[in-house]
Amino acid sequence: MSVHLAGVETPNRQGGWAPDVDRRLATLESPIRSVLEGHASSLTAGDRITLVPDTHYPFHPSSGMVTDPAVVGSIADRLSDWTDAEIGIAGATDDRIAFDRTAEYLGYPAIADRFDADLVDLADDDHRDTVVTVGDERVSIAVPERLLESTVVLVPTLRPTEDGPVSGGLRTLGRLVGSVADADDAAVAAERAVKPDLSVLDATIAYGGDPVAADALFAGPAAQIDAVGSSLLSRAVEEDPVLRRTVEAAEESVTVESVTDEPAVDLASLRRRIPEGGLPPRDEVNPLVTTAYRVYAAVAGDAVPPQFTQRR
Amino acid sequence: MVRTVLRRWTDSSALTLGVLGVGNIGMVHLKSALSMPEVTVPAAADAVPENRDRAESAGVARTYDDYATLLEHEDDLDAVVVALPPFLHADAVEEAAAHGVDVFVEKPLARSVEEAEEMLETAEEAGIAVGVDHTLRYQPDMAGVKEAYQDGSVGHVPYASITRLNDHPLGKPPADEAPPEWPMDPDAAGGGSLVELGVHCFDVLEWLFGDLEVVDATMGKSLDIPAEDAATVMLRAPETDTTITLHCGTYQWEQLPEVNTRLRLEGVTGTISNKDHMPGNFYAGAATSALTNVVNRFTGGETDVFGPTFYLQAHYDALEDFCEAIREGETPPVDGRDGLRTLELTETAYELAAESESEGDGESEDEAADATLETPEVTT
Repeated sequence: MSVHLAGVETPNRQGGWAPDVDRRLATLESPIRSVLEGHASSLTAGDRITLVPDTHYPFHPSSGMVTDPAVVGSIADRLSDWTDAEIGIAGATDDRIAFDRTAEYLGYPAIADRFDADLVDLADDDHRDTVVTVGDERVSIAVPERLLESTVVLVPTLRPTEDGPVSGGLRTLGRLVGSVADADDAAVAAERAVKPDLSVLDATIAYGGDPVAADALFAGPAAQIDAVGSSLLSRAVEEDPVLRRTVEAAEESVTVESVTDEPAVDLASLRRRIPEGGLPPRDEVNPLVTTAYRVYAAVAGDAVPPQFTQRR
Repeated sequence: MVRTVLRRWTDSSALTLGVLGVGNIGMVHLKSALSMPEVTVPAAADAVPENRDRAESAGVARTYDDYATLLEHEDDLDAVVVALPPFLHADAVEEAAAHGVDVFVEKPLARSVEEAEEMLETAEEAGIAVGVDHTLRYQPDMAGVKEAYQDGSVGHVPYASITRLNDHPLGKPPADEAPPEWPMDPDAAGGGSLVELGVHCFDVLEWLFGDLEVVDATMGKSLDIPAEDAATVMLRAPETDTTITLHCGTYQWEQLPEVNTRLRLEGVTGTISNKDHMPGNFYAGAATSALTNVVNRFTGGETDVFGPTFYLQAHYDALEDFCEAIREGETPPVDGRDGLRTLELTETAYELAAESESEGDGESEDEAADATLETPEVTT
């Protein structure tokens, strides 16, 4: 099983990020076409396509913490050239933030308008209860029907989760299903229930403790793409509870096939460029400092500021 | 008015304070006030139950879910801290004025110059004092810059720059809870990062250089949010003949205790930087404050509050100065006029930015003239 890789040429770009979405779309057009071409027939077989980017929170796309909306727009643009299928860009409102709010801040309404796509809040969709066998356990999940009845293209960004492993397409998908199981089991179950047709890894900007302009796109089966992402973040695939059960189940090695000659992407140097770090500490204040402050306050009899006693 | 003045006359030392709003910064004010000698805080108000619980845990006897109710029931207050969202400042000050209670208002004083002027008029008619929590001038690094500048340590200063950045309200990863909407709503907050952070910068710059003139400004949005998350303003200080650039933004991830506030004065013989007057690293600062506090407890000296975090200690010092002024029946050192002044500069900056943007969007005069020329008819 191979995944496709394309470098993104960024001629005359100053800095690692081009704020002009038109400019990003222009640079993405060719590499997106290149990584999708081999999958065109399977992607255009149905009459409805659902793109699932990482929109978990309105972090700036230049941080690498969310998918660049321009990548999603470029995929929608390419697909609309190939098919008349209805294209949706999907996320889900959760107990943290409404999808339409995140989508608005990230600029998705303009992208959706431009490429004649719909923004779809899967929290409003009918859900189908599904039981999936994961290892020795049966995991019950509630899956938005749209994911079961359309061609699904995951579009994760290259970043780790708070717990450390790659966030990837499978965990992005797992966040969209309802389940009382733990998040990793839900992600594996979601993959088995939905059987996503393709995953396009947005590695234009990667985050590994700091952002880095990696200027690369990968496309292929979801588990294999996540395995590549995990490797680029210097995480061991066998230590990832999601990948351990999805990549091994496929019983195939992953090869990366470059589908463009220019710009050439050297995976080893790309891996070296991406930092191996994780997300910042959850607390507003560095936990070590919070502890130090409490010790200080006890010794000195000082007040402890609220920022040093609570989570944001 | 009479009630307040009489109380000051009969008891010049003790001060009874209420806190309206005990979210993040409100809790800093509450804990500051509770740590002050001869200040009592019998009551706090907040619409959020968890915030009221925290206030009670901190030592407040009574909490209310509405600031108007607090003012109605607490008839022994000398002053209140208004740490509510900006869209409630005017109403809270009006309520306080109706009860003859002095106010210490979190910045921005109001959402607009017009609202601030009405607020100050209400306060004046009621005879209450208005203080504003502009704290940069209370920070030791800023005080160090001022002292060096006053000493003439770099000669004439033709150019200065100030930058203040943080990540309010979207925050940094990992994502936790939904950010509040009002800080990104210009109608509710009065603007974006210029109102959130720039007003502090204006205040400290006028404290350093005297009256400022806004020369030009530009606003930016790095996401599709209603208010700006970046503002850059060019200023001129006629008295010192200094050109100043101010940049503030709410787009940069912040991890306390590190704060990104930079002030540089470029003088003829060298540079004055706030970094050179900043307390050492957090751990060293904490150790020093701890040692100082322990010694002072034995010797009866004054102890630090929020000692290791100079930027929070500045809030304590600002509130303490306000309380002292109220006790003495004096005008607060940072008063409503100062708060109004920062809003005047803010509005001018917004107007200039809007003008520049409309000029950029529109046609030049030449282009407009060209557009009116008719295409000549070509005949063969």
